[in-house]
Amino acid sequence: MRQLSGEYHGTAMPLFIIYFKVTVLTLFTLGIYRFWGKTRIRRYIWSATSGGDDSFEYTGTGLEKFLGFLVAVVLLAIYLGIVQMLLFYFGIVIFDEPQTDAEVLAQLAGIYITLVAAVPLIFFAQYRARRYKMSRTRWRGIRFGMEHGAWGYVLRAIFHITLTISTLGLLLPRQTFYLEKYMADRTWYGNAQFEQGGKWTGLYAGLTHVIMALAVMILGGFMAADSSPIFGTILIVLGYFWLLIGFVAYRIYAFNYMMKHKKLAGEVAFDSEAETGRVIGIVLGGSFIVTIVALIAGVFFALLAAAFGVLGAFSGLEPLSATTQQGVMGITVMAIYYVALLLVIPGVSLVVITQRIIAHVVGAITVQNAAGLDAIRQRMADEGADAEGFADALDVGGAI
Amino acid sequence: MQTLGRFFDGETGLRLDVEVSIDEAARRLRLAHPELPSDMQDWPVEELRALGDEARQDQVTISLRTDHSSDSALIEEARLTLREGVFIARLRAMCPKLYKRDLAKNTWRKVFSRVGFAIGAVLLMLFVILPAMANTLALIIPPERENRWGKSVVAQMERLFGATELGELSCKHTVGTEALGTMLQRLSRGADLAYEVNVRVFDHEMVNAFAAPGGEVVLMRGLIEKASSPDEVAAVLAHEIAHVENRDATRNALRAAGSAGLLAMVLGDFAGASVMVIVAEATLNASYTREAETAADEYALAMLERSGTSSDGMADFFSAIADLEGDFKLPEYLSTHPATESREQRARDFASEQGITSPILNDEEWQALRSICD
Repeated sequence: MRQLSGEYHGTAMPLFIIYFKVTVLTLFTLGIYRFWGKTRIRRYIWSATSGGDDSFEYTGTGLEKFLGFLVAVVLLAIYLGIVQMLLFYFGIVIFDEPQTDAEVLAQLAGIYITLVAAVPLIFFAQYRARRYKMSRTRWRGIRFGMEHGAWGYVLRAIFHITLTISTLGLLLPRQTFYLEKYMADRTWYGNAQFEQGGKWTGLYAGLTHVIMALAVMILGGFMAADSSPIFGTILIVLGYFWLLIGFVAYRIYAFNYMMKHKKLAGEVAFDSEAETGRVIGIVLGGSFIVTIVALIAGVFFALLAAAFGVLGAFSGLEPLSATTQQGVMGITVMAIYYVALLLVIPGVSLVVITQRIIAHVVGAITVQNAAGLDAIRQRMADEGADAEGFADALDVGGAI
Repeated sequence: MQTLGRFFDGETGLRLDVEVSIDEAARRLRLAHPELPSDMQDWPVEELRALGDEARQDQVTISLRTDHSSDSALIEEARLTLREGVFIARLRAMCPKLYKRDLAKNTWRKVFSRVGFAIGAVLLMLFVILPAMANTLALIIPPERENRWGKSVVAQMERLFGATELGELSCKHTVGTEALGTMLQRLSRGADLAYEVNVRVFDHEMVNAFAAPGGEVVLMRGLIEKASSPDEVAAVLAHEIAHVENRDATRNALRAAGSAGLLAMVLGDFAGASVMVIVAEATLNASYTREAETAADEYALAMLERSGTSSDGMADFFSAIADLEGDFKLPEYLSTHPATESREQRARDFASEQGITSPILNDEEWQALRSICD
């Protein structure tokens, strides 16, 4: 019964430096470097992750992402252009003449709803992006991989989400379970296939906090409307924060549950003990640091702007042009502040929140019956002509 | 120099702890283990490539350069991980190409052809396919639907100009409205209009006028105040009627709907993208409405001619607009309208060839129109 445990070796400064460099380059190349930037950040995070002291490896390249993006752009240009124009046209033809303000707004909303054209593509892009990431992940020299199946995922995602919405969220565990199962069952490590076990009803236990928070909010609502408005409002606010925590708890619970019920090659099993309290602690602590950094930067730039103002006043220029000059200086300083925040804040949040959550989750995972891994052999490479081009083009999935 | 390294052959997941040594003279890295084929492998130092952006300071993972790979940079499948600092330092000193990123032979050709193809496809969509589609749809849309939509566009504009209630900005002074009707009637004389034109005046100081889809035309109070004769207002009205008849607003809106999502996608998610989208869209709009403007000017001139109104009014109006623009001028490719001077000249030339003309409104009617918002 060999057992392996996950470890994360990444630290804040090196990742922040990579992030900062690639963001500056992205800015100067009008966005083109972002494909290489994303690749570098992933290479760092993958190589920091290890199982049984063997590091993971991210083999994707920026070039293939860029080329894949170009392919996706061509297909999406045709699809989005034509579909959005047709939707807009039918939006015009279907609606009646508005009589009231509300009807005007409804009609405008109807016309601008053309964005729904992109919804099925977002699920398509999500599946393709995960398949691409899997195909570019190696551990012990063996690659992961995922089968084709993006359209099947689109249909199921639309079906399950519709079901969840129409039952007011009651069937959320069903959606979570079956969508993850669809992807997990199509995932391979080398020539060994993953298999998702468990039951969707098993996820209800994870909703405890969500349900209690909702109960408190509803109770608060009744009290606010009836006897004591102040106490009721306090309950609603408390319930709201509890609800946010409840959703984090649900995600963590679902992650642990799904991980525990996964099997590889029929024998290798997994365990996951990620803790909600720890994750919330990381988010709160991280948000505090991000806020402090933004405030310090704000004070610094405000002082800088004030200094320019003083300089302007003593420069001996005509009063009017001195004010104009101060204004220009002020605007310039504010613009620099904006760009600096844009460069720094997401990077700080990446290293103090995202990376620390990854570190915690990776550390919580163990692999049981690891002896079964030794018999696994390599699988064919998945060329994936468009890499994750659709996700890039539609801006799905963020930096990692 | 010797150390232990972890070796994965890229075929099985089995880890071999191989003995690694550097042969300085032959410039080779030697991997030895009883389970390796013929007990060992020789890796030429020049061909060694290390994985970049390694998070662990204490390790280096290396592989060998290759000419083809379908899922990574150009390196072989096998991996060797080394952890001994002195050994790693020696290796780094020996191979300057350790962190080189090799490019496949036809990479640049591939990049240029794909970029060219993508740009071509997007341009084809923006300037050929979407405009053609917008044209077709603008022609097949039922006029009464177009009119309903136009009314909602006007309602939206009214809100934009500060109205809190529908119809609040519309000027309704009776005599003025009658004068406007007279002007419209005389302009439409002999013109076979496909739309029933509905003109109204908004109580706003801006010197402007616009045509919404389906025959809805709006003049701003500022424009009537700025005009020095009824013929100037008539020229503007004729120009807007031309837009209505040519379905320009409908075509524009359809085309914008098709290109907005596409442009946002192409310009991507980097900083300031939304600003770029707005600029790009404005430029696009400008480039195709310029032709529409010229066509509308010609249509308006023909209308003025038929109604026996001098196009000097149009020329005067352009001259006044040129004064308003003053020194600040957008380059022609950015502005929605053709250069004002050339339009003024065209109207002046046209007027010199016209026969007998008379003012479109008499003095009394003109004063009534000017006070439509009182």
